[in-house]
Amino acid sequence: MSDLARVEGEQRGTICLVRVHGEIDLSNAHEVSSEIGVAMGQEARRLVVDLSDITYLDSAGVALLLRLAERLRSRRRELHLVAPRGSPVRRVLDFTGLPRVIPLESRLEDALAQRDDALPDEFP
Amino acid sequence: MATREETPKAPPDALVNAATAHPWSYAAGVLLVAVAYYTAAKLGLRLALVGRNITPFWPPTGIAVVAFLVLGRSVWPGVALAALVVNLPITTGVLPAAATAAGNTLAPLVAATLLAKVGFRREIDRLRDATAIVFVGALLSMSISASVGTGVLVASGALPADELPGSWAVWWAGDAMGVLVVTPFVLSLVQPWRRPGRPHWKHLEAAVLFALIAAVSVVAIGADPHLMFLVIPLLGWAAWRFQQRGAAPAALLVVVVASWAAAKGIGPFRAGTMLEKMLILQAFNATVAFCSFFFAAVVSERMQAHQALERAAAGLEARVRQRTSQLTEAQQVAHIGSWEWLIPQHRVSWSDELYRIHGHVPQEFPVTFETAVDQVNTEDAARIRSNAEAALRRADDHDLPNIEYHITRPDGAERVLLGTAKVCVGPNREPLRMVGTVQDVTEARKAEREHRIAETLQRGLLPDRLPEVPGMALAARYVPAGADMAVGGDWYDVVELPSGHIGLAIGDVAGHGPRAASTMGQLRMALRAYALEEPSPAEVVSRLDRLVSRLLMSEIVTLVYLVLDLDSGMVQFANAGHPPPLVVGLGGQASFLEEGLGSPLGCDDPGLPAEASFRLVPDSTLLLYTDGLVEKRGVSIDEGLERLATVATDGGQDLEAFCEQLLCSMVEGDTADDVALLAIRPVPLTGRPLLRVPAEPRVLAPLRQTLRRWLRESDADPHVANDILLLACGEVCTNVIQHAYGAKEGPLEISLDVRDGTAEVTIRDQGCWRPSSGIHGGYGLPLVQELMESVELMGGPDGTVVRMRRRALSGSER
Repeated sequence: MSDLARVEGEQRGTICLVRVHGEIDLSNAHEVSSEIGVAMGQEARRLVVDLSDITYLDSAGVALLLRLAERLRSRRRELHLVAPRGSPVRRVLDFTGLPRVIPLESRLEDALAQRDDALPDEFP
Repeated sequence: MATREETPKAPPDALVNAATAHPWSYAAGVLLVAVAYYTAAKLGLRLALVGRNITPFWPPTGIAVVAFLVLGRSVWPGVALAALVVNLPITTGVLPAAATAAGNTLAPLVAATLLAKVGFRREIDRLRDATAIVFVGALLSMSISASVGTGVLVASGALPADELPGSWAVWWAGDAMGVLVVTPFVLSLVQPWRRPGRPHWKHLEAAVLFALIAAVSVVAIGADPHLMFLVIPLLGWAAWRFQQRGAAPAALLVVVVASWAAAKGIGPFRAGTMLEKMLILQAFNATVAFCSFFFAAVVSERMQAHQALERAAAGLEARVRQRTSQLTEAQQVAHIGSWEWLIPQHRVSWSDELYRIHGHVPQEFPVTFETAVDQVNTEDAARIRSNAEAALRRADDHDLPNIEYHITRPDGAERVLLGTAKVCVGPNREPLRMVGTVQDVTEARKAEREHRIAETLQRGLLPDRLPEVPGMALAARYVPAGADMAVGGDWYDVVELPSGHIGLAIGDVAGHGPRAASTMGQLRMALRAYALEEPSPAEVVSRLDRLVSRLLMSEIVTLVYLVLDLDSGMVQFANAGHPPPLVVGLGGQASFLEEGLGSPLGCDDPGLPAEASFRLVPDSTLLLYTDGLVEKRGVSIDEGLERLATVATDGGQDLEAFCEQLLCSMVEGDTADDVALLAIRPVPLTGRPLLRVPAEPRVLAPLRQTLRRWLRESDADPHVANDILLLACGEVCTNVIQHAYGAKEGPLEISLDVRDGTAEVTIRDQGCWRPSSGIHGGYGLPLVQELMESVELMGGPDGTVVRMRRRALSGSER
């Protein structure tokens, strides 16, 4: 696997928690994306991707997250992101308007605690 | 004729000195000359024709010339004294006698002086000596004594003035004849016998000859006036057989007899006036003297030429013999044989060495063209035959193409021979002979082949060029072993890892030649593969260890592998039995990295090799090397390491110069083992703002590493650097990579500059930005515009330039 980013998956009931460490750019976006897919089992209803340990993320990473959200949505699963307020990653996400499409929490607990029905407005 | 020899310069003056050197010997010389002169004068006066003192043949002048030539001109008092004593009784007074004596002394003195000037040689064995004594010694010089003598006679009234010319002529002829006849004779007596071993019959011949000359001259002159010429052939005989030694006495004998006959009025001198008698006698004497002289000189000269030729021929023959033996030795040393084929005679001769090359005892059997070709292996024999036939058909002198062929010796050994040949044709273009050389090139060919293989392997095994890593200077050297097999198993490699770190390796496979080179090639490739996969040096080394253990490799394999993070300067490394890397700090202090050491690869040592780390500060130098650098015969490896640590401290600024200096100091002359060197030095990025990389996704991470370092070294605010500038650069570079070149490849250039607290980044490509394709793209440029204070985007036919600026100093964040 790539040195640049490391993906760790963890199953918590119907929630799959994926922590991504390292950097995401154009060179490893596809790889990270497919690793997240692997880490998420068949059972999970919701995928929480924790970006707290990401040290670099640019628009290629944003594009990856958008594609991932789309793919999950087509299978009726949801994607939640975690990025601490004030972090560089959070700034990039905020700037691209991603939180308007994908639920974004500052703390992991918040993302995990949300109930299944607390879907964004677009999914009534 | 080239054999003419120059007169030795020494004799005349040397003799003067010799005569004056010793008072007693000088006095004896003077006395001897005086006595000889007086005696000769008394004998000569018996032959006087005019009065009592004019003789047709005056021997004392000859004696005087000999005396001056042999004893030196300093003995003149002897001549003068004797002349005075001789002349006193026959002249009218003391004064005329003294004047005459002075003339008699002066003439031979002048003769001897002039002869010395013209290079006269006392052996009279050259034509020029004969000419000199006739014209200079006799005819010219004796005009002095004749003039003085007759002048005194006329002046003293002893001679009527009208008789002066006749008397002058007689006087002159008499003195000249004295020189011509007596000088050569006496000179021939005083010459040492050069060839003592003269056969007895030669003496007998001489005796018979002289008896014959005496008898013939006496009988001929006495019997018939017209038979005088009969002695001429005998003089010729004497000159031809005995040269000057025979000719001079013979001439003297004949002249004495003729003069005696003239004085006694015998034979042709019975009748006629005094002048007529005089004329006949002088003519006869002159003929005798000239004939014997010149004939003897010519014969001598020819004999000398002949001897010189013989000597030259003998010298030449000796040289040829010497060269032949040298050639034989040279052939033996160089393993080159030679042969000659006399075509019409159907004969072939081989040199001794050629027999040896073919595995035979020299000259063991006679050779013909057929037997020679039969020695050659069948597949090559046809080629040799057709080459020879073609050469013979060409009918001119020419070289044949060199040919390499194989023979099998009687003991079964196969040898590779290299043959050269040339053909020589006769006047009618018929082939006369063919000559050639044969060299045993078996060993050379074998070595060449192995060397070629090994070299090819090695060239493929070492990196053809080192990667250009921003912020890191690299230099490498490989010095092959000085022995014939130039390729060893030393290797090094530099790998750019996916993480942006740099993998550095150096290793040594024991042994030389193709086998070691091929093992090292496999290892190098394996290391590259593992290094790309595995970030930990210890893990890479451990995998290589397993590979070596499983793969047969019997050689001892050592290596050290390091991973350098240029950003932090941290180096992690693992060492499998290799000499420790050396770190030379900025101040020149050198230390070895002794940690992280494990056994050589393939030793079945369980467990991972140790891993160690250290920090390589900017401008310090990391040196990797193989044992060839520190191992020298007769010196322990510890001493070698110590020496290396000492030498490395005064490495120059330039890494290439550093490597050169190390090799110069550590490796003297031919190395027994090959040497590989790899030197690494992190250098500041500041002042090297331009980075040029291929526009590919894989460069993004290393690029960020470099930019981080560069920004840190530029004292940029860490937050601005890492969260803003880095992101903006990343976005623009990603754009270039995705849109500038399409499917083609192209470069991406970044330059950075921090001035007055403002960072300016320029990113340039040579392509044309295409519109964003996917629905999820398009965030890049707006994000950059958000991050930076100013962004200029200039597109043109030569490419696109993005220039952006932002305050970058600490506390400058909005």
